[in-house]
Amino acid sequence: MAEREMEVINDRDGFGVGEDVIGDRPRRYQRRRPRQMVPDYLDWKDIEYLGQFVPERGKIMPRRISGISAKDQRRISTAIKRARSMAMLPFVAD
Amino acid sequence: MANRTYEVMYIINPETDAEKIEKLNEAVGKLIEKEGGEIVRMDDIGIRNLAYPIEKKESGHYVLFEINGTGQEIAELERRMRVNDMVMRYMTVRVDEDRKKAAAIKAKRDARNEKRATRATTVKVEEAEAVDAQ
Repeated sequence: MAEREMEVINDRDGFGVGEDVIGDRPRRYQRRRPRQMVPDYLDWKDIEYLGQFVPERGKIMPRRISGISAKDQRRISTAIKRARSMAMLPFVAD
Repeated sequence: MANRTYEVMYIINPETDAEKIEKLNEAVGKLIEKEGGEIVRMDDIGIRNLAYPIEKKESGHYVLFEINGTGQEIAELERRMRVNDMVMRYMTVRVDEDRKKAAAIKAKRDARNEKRATRATTVKVEEAEAVDAQ
């Protein structure tokens, strides 16, 4: 499962993806993106903005990749979930 | 009762006649006003594609209301929408608290920026004065 998530991430360009040998097996790592600005009022209907945090598969992008703060991540994930229940964003896309 | 702001969005079956949709929207508006709510904004977004099928339909007619009220009209509205066959999906979101929070954050940031700006100018003025003194 974790492996698959990594692959999805690797599909995207613009991330610093690489391998590091820690201990006996190589570990993949991604560099954090520069911190992004999240608007003060996050509109759950703003699909274009939220789409930034939804990779092709339809999952919510983890914070370690988007590089946003924990507070913003919570706001974004509720907004995405609201948009999902109104069929504006997919639960799963394949 | 405290005044609250809600966003009510619903998706209507795309196969319903335009007349019926119009009538439904009117009925919703009347209901809100009857229950003591105030319509801030009414937006008939129209047909758009769904991200996943609902009731085996790939598209839906979206309508958005923004309401000022007490919450009573929301309860009544949701009850009506639940039994209405035309409405495929509905959702109500309370937005006033988030907006207030956003405004507070913005005010704080503006105040800080202003403080910074004034400090920068005063420093400059002091420097200029120092140069003048020389």
